Amino acid sequence: GSIETREVHSAVAFVSARREWLDGKQNERVEVEAQKTESGLVPTHLALGSCHRGGATSGFTVSEFTPAGKLLVPSGSSSKGLHLHCCCYMEPFTILHKASSRKTDKISTGTGKSRTTRRIDLTASLPASTDISDVNAAESNERHYSNMRMEAFEAVWSSTESSIKDVLREANATIFSEIHEWVRDSFDTIVSFGVPNFHEATQPFPVVKDATSKQIFTGLVLTRNIEFVDDLVTFEDLKQHLKSQGCHVANLSSVDFSSKNGVGTCLRSLLGQFVTGSLDTADISMLATWYKEQQNNDNPVVIIIDDMERCCASILSEFIHMLSEWVLKVPAILIMGVATTVDAPRNVLPSNALHRLHARKFTFQSLPEKMNYVVETAFVKQSSEFTISHKTAVFMRNYFVHQNGSVTSFIRALKIACAQHFSTQPLCFILHWFLRDEDNEVPQSHIYGLSQERMLKLAFDLPSWKSTNNQITQLSGETLLDGLTQLKKLHKTWRMVVLCLYEAIKGENVQLLDLMCEALDPKGPFASQFDIGSRVLPSDDSTSQKFHSLEKNKGLINRAIRRVKELPANQLLVLMKAWEKHTVDVPEFHSEVKALVLSLLKLEENGESLNQNKVEMTNTRKQALRGHLNGADKNLRVANEKASNLVDLMVRRYMCPVECVALHEVLCFDCVDQLQAALIGDMRRRIQMDLQDFHAIIRCSCCSKRGSTILPSMPDSSIMYTLAQEHGDVVNVHDWYQSFKSVVLSTHMVSKRGKSRSKQHSPTPKKRKTTSELSQPSEASIQARFCKAIVELQVTGLVRMPNRRRPDYLQRLAFGS
Amino acid sequence: RKAKLFPPVPPLSFLHSFWSDGEQTPESRTFPSAAFCRPAMEINDGEEEEEFEFSRNYFLAKELGGSSKKSGRKISDIDPVDEQELRTAANNLEPKHEREVASLMESYKASYPEWGFMLRTGFGLLMYGFGSKKALIEDFASTSLTEYSVVVINGYVQSINLKQVMVAIAEVWWDQLKAKRRNSPSQAQQPFNSRSIDDLLAFMDGQEADDDKSFVCIIVNNIDGPGLREPESQHLLARIASCTHIRIIASIDHVNAPLLWDKKMVHTQFNWYWYHVPTFAPYVVEGVFFPLILAHSSTAQSAKTAAIVLQSLTPNAQSVFRVLAEYQLSHPDVEGMPIESLYAASRERFLVSSQVTLNSHLTEFKDHELVRTRRNADGQDCVYIPLANDGLQKLLPEINP
Repeated sequence: GSIETREVHSAVAFVSARREWLDGKQNERVEVEAQKTESGLVPTHLALGSCHRGGATSGFTVSEFTPAGKLLVPSGSSSKGLHLHCCCYMEPFTILHKASSRKTDKISTGTGKSRTTRRIDLTASLPASTDISDVNAAESNERHYSNMRMEAFEAVWSSTESSIKDVLREANATIFSEIHEWVRDSFDTIVSFGVPNFHEATQPFPVVKDATSKQIFTGLVLTRNIEFVDDLVTFEDLKQHLKSQGCHVANLSSVDFSSKNGVGTCLRSLLGQFVTGSLDTADISMLATWYKEQQNNDNPVVIIIDDMERCCASILSEFIHMLSEWVLKVPAILIMGVATTVDAPRNVLPSNALHRLHARKFTFQSLPEKMNYVVETAFVKQSSEFTISHKTAVFMRNYFVHQNGSVTSFIRALKIACAQHFSTQPLCFILHWFLRDEDNEVPQSHIYGLSQERMLKLAFDLPSWKSTNNQITQLSGETLLDGLTQLKKLHKTWRMVVLCLYEAIKGENVQLLDLMCEALDPKGPFASQFDIGSRVLPSDDSTSQKFHSLEKNKGLINRAIRRVKELPANQLLVLMKAWEKHTVDVPEFHSEVKALVLSLLKLEENGESLNQNKVEMTNTRKQALRGHLNGADKNLRVANEKASNLVDLMVRRYMCPVECVALHEVLCFDCVDQLQAALIGDMRRRIQMDLQDFHAIIRCSCCSKRGSTILPSMPDSSIMYTLAQEHGDVVNVHDWYQSFKSVVLSTHMVSKRGKSRSKQHSPTPKKRKTTSELSQPSEASIQARFCKAIVELQVTGLVRMPNRRRPDYLQRLAFGS
Repeated sequence: RKAKLFPPVPPLSFLHSFWSDGEQTPESRTFPSAAFCRPAMEINDGEEEEEFEFSRNYFLAKELGGSSKKSGRKISDIDPVDEQELRTAANNLEPKHEREVASLMESYKASYPEWGFMLRTGFGLLMYGFGSKKALIEDFASTSLTEYSVVVINGYVQSINLKQVMVAIAEVWWDQLKAKRRNSPSQAQQPFNSRSIDDLLAFMDGQEADDDKSFVCIIVNNIDGPGLREPESQHLLARIASCTHIRIIASIDHVNAPLLWDKKMVHTQFNWYWYHVPTFAPYVVEGVFFPLILAHSSTAQSAKTAAIVLQSLTPNAQSVFRVLAEYQLSHPDVEGMPIESLYAASRERFLVSSQVTLNSHLTEFKDHELVRTRRNADGQDCVYIPLANDGLQKLLPEINP
């Protein structure tokens, strides 16, 4: 037959083996349907090998094999076109290629089973005129630049990530040291029950004393997270902390406590973390031996179980029993994560196991608190300038609040955003430049594969620059530098204001992320005066007018401003002291805040003296005192007013959302759709939409959507899927087949009737076929197409094969998209 | 159509009908991953409507299934062609839209640099969308990942020994390390075959590499395939994927595939980055192990093949089979014919002389899957023919009277 002249580097064998029902084990037959190679030679051993392998696993074996070299290639074989089948496709695994610096150097070895070299080439034609060396040079350059971009990304991201990690660890520092203290106390108690003497210690069975010595000290840690993913991070930190204090620590997860494998799994996992070398059997006496062999026996063994409620109760209680028997030899202390309430052990464990536990409760930071730390570090206090647009912030907030609820995933989403920013924004390296703080030099774009002119062009073509600075004609490196410095400054002051607002509203159980979303909004009430890119601050009169009308509006920013007005003296002082720290970079506010702090301090002193006086109060002096108090009140109100005006001014003058600043695109990520697509795969819906709207993806000329008619030129699976929509949750195979057949056969009706119409289209091969091939497709081919389409729907999980109860029906598993 | 912010919630009944074979269910304690959680965010009108449409579709389908008169047509009414012919036809099918599929594949080449970038930043790429993605992913690996070793795991193969795979990966990684450092590595290498899984994981996770950025890339075609569906396999894969020097690219096709993973696996181990890449390439290798519906379950086919087997047996054996078949036809509702009754009936007709002879016949039948045994309500062992009545009726005239 004819072999297509595509570049095929490997043998392509399509081997299907079939077992005949009646022949049983004696006479199985294998058919080799098609086989083709570049050189015409067929690696027989490959085809054989794969048959054997595939056979062994799928229930048939190959006993007889025609020498593959003599096989024919039927014309129109299924190995045509793009879907090439590797001859080793039935291998469970193969090595595609090994790492190499040179591109041509492709070694490939299957681990002793099959050896093949192959490359699938999808390009039918490369531009033939391009010089290979040029291509290579361009490629290596491209690689170099992408490495540079990668480095820039890593620098920016790692600065953010490490600060987030630090802040989370710090947040837990107190509770960690509390746990450590308790571990030490518990260990001392265990030791006080008696240390086994040498004789006892070498015996392969536990030491038994009285009942109290059998108790295991157990820390129940309330993790207060929504997702156990976050717990894992916390427990890992705890493990590191305890380890640094000298304890022997092991982490066990609920997977180790599954009823399927019994207590052996968790013991093995436990031993694996302490004892080096391979373990054939897992026995707790080995743990005792290991502990005895330790240099100094004055450190406890801490076992952390991250999610106690997900463990299999019987295995866990067995484990507890075992530990308690051995506790004198292996001074084990349990730390168990509890997601719900302290009652959880009582609900999970049987009472005899409960009796062995001597529990104490610890509580970690709650999720909202942690989230505030993360947001504060990542967006408000961060060292890198990378930030996200308002839309992205809202999306991420919703993703956290409604969908995911885990800090880990939030950080992951941020990382995806950051990575996408670096892969899509050509000017992203400026972030790296920001990070290195080389403010007085124009960013060196050439090391990222961008000439300076190109960088300037890109920068001045950014919409945010164009919309505001079109009057500037002199476009030089200095202009860019100015623009970037301005951008950085405005971003910094924005963060300052957000931080001050957050300080003001902190006590009211407010999420910083919400506040941030509001402050980022370029269309929000406070952003209206920042026309994109304008650095001319609006005059006070006009904006304050606007401002007061807005003040009635709800919103966290307004709430913060109102709150400042009503704060009592001592809280106001604390707030002002915090502000004093934050506003260091803006002298204008810094001095005013300082003055406020001073006046408040004075007020406080007065107040204290008043309080002292109160004790010796006499009737005659009451009058005067009241007057004094009123005066203090008044002073406080003045201070409140002043602070409130101050924050008001800050918001108006400096809280410029990043999206209102020229050149913000270099540091601000704004592709929500892209982020969402990467973060949340929409498997179920998209597969069905692919089948329904395949035309939008494939863009063929033959099946342009004409209403909801099913065209025979559509992919068979699409036809079948669309037809199945008319059925209920089960589809009768016979009916389905009949409607499929009628659709397929309608081709010939259409082509007979509408020959003229089909001529109007560009004559695709498909069209030609339908018009020329007037003979009906054979019954066998229709049935084969039907079967194949069902197989494809099965692979995608849209239908299920008939079961014994309903042999003539297929079950639909997905309904509409 | 506009992409939706969030996928809708699958009705609970999907969880029962999880996989196509209905036997392997995910570990009960794993939670559905992010992709299936409740969207409660900014649903604008259009989306709300879509949401509504989705649930309506579901209930409509259920209602339709329950109320409307079910068609009683049988598969055999289609009159399937001979299995041989069907398979030949199936392997010679004319692919549709070849050119468009090719240009679609070609269009993904533009995304290769981005994929490579994401892979190197530490994400695992998860490819989904209709069509076989094997060729696409492997082409990506052969063109863009030449500086890294690439190992391909084929999840559509029925059984995969992951330990073997890990040994292979470790060997490849070892070679890569050796090539990087010209001077011979310090410690003597223990053969990977004899190492434990934890050791191998530690090796791949280790800090031995001077160059932290190099890695081995694993491609898992159909990570939701039958060979990898067990929770243990997925846990192990997740642990492999979370190693420092491993990156993973996987493809999924089954709509319920995300249920294989809990959040720990999705967010911290696999670290999935989703890509929607429909290829519309036919599922050729992925579908190899699926039976053709018209080839296997057709009664005509089974009756025919059963007849061929029977004809090769002794006349007495055929007659015993006939006794059983006639009994089954006249007692359609019982579990089968008690062996004692079969013995009595056969003995009456002088077909067997002893229980031993009958048993030898029965063994032969069983070997060819002509009969099966089960126990009836009274606790008696019964034999029955695993054929529908119409199949039996077709079969009877073919055997010796």
